[in-house]
Amino acid sequence: MVHVHDPRVRWGVPAAQVIRIIPAAEWQAAPAVDVLATLGPAPSGGGQRRVMIVNGAGDRETALLASGTIKVEDVDPTTILPLPDMLAESITEVSAIVVAHDASLSLLVNPSAVTSPDDSRAS
Amino acid sequence: MRSFVPITIDATWIAVDMATVREIGGPLTWIALPTATATLPGVSAWRGRAVAVADLAAVLGAGERLASPTGRIRTLYLQQGTSTLAVPVDAVREPLMIADEDIKPSRVRSDAFCLGEANVEGHTTLIVDLGVLLPGYRPAAARALQ
Repeated sequence: MVHVHDPRVRWGVPAAQVIRIIPAAEWQAAPAVDVLATLGPAPSGGGQRRVMIVNGAGDRETALLASGTIKVEDVDPTTILPLPDMLAESITEVSAIVVAHDASLSLLVNPSAVTSPDDSRAS
Repeated sequence: MRSFVPITIDATWIAVDMATVREIGGPLTWIALPTATATLPGVSAWRGRAVAVADLAAVLGAGERLASPTGRIRTLYLQQGTSTLAVPVDAVREPLMIADEDIKPSRVRSDAFCLGEANVEGHTTLIVDLGVLLPGYRPAAARALQ
């Protein structure tokens, strides 16, 4: 799993869905999606800001803003806990939480459910 | 007579039906979810699964809101239908029996979660059903009419 240690909330996506990671300044297409936008503004982060290009809906490339240190980490599948039904129906962009060895939590983002600005313009 | 567990959050006394309480635990570690509601702002891990976290301060519209990743001193785990809620609170009191006739209509709140109020240790205590926070949940009173 590729984890982003965002100061707001740690989150990640399955490594198999990550196509490439580039500095935010090099991303020239539509604005990258900040999946944590509703939790507060993205930290400025200096050189820590990157864009993670992932396989999104319909196998289209989706750019996710990654503010914070990025680490590739093995995750024990038994520590991946799906969201309860009552939340999963309304919060589709997060599919589960991941429990770390120290009992801290991170969000498992479902790239296929992330809406990019391109999707908004298309609809 | 029914058994209730009185809890406090800030200066507010609340009681929940003992039958819904699965566990009383210590401080909670939880994580905020983007696009979640103020009343159910995130999730926590409990007994090998993810459970929704309810913020009573947001439910009551009073007191300091929860801030991830820490909760409050105690956590109530409530079973509401097929769902489990983790509810961080400041204190949990001894369970007690309250007669139905001692539960009066609330004088200060008309919210759906508020079933009434009772006097507990000299404090006006809201009797609440937090299941109403869940989509599709039918309150116990409504189920009894079926």
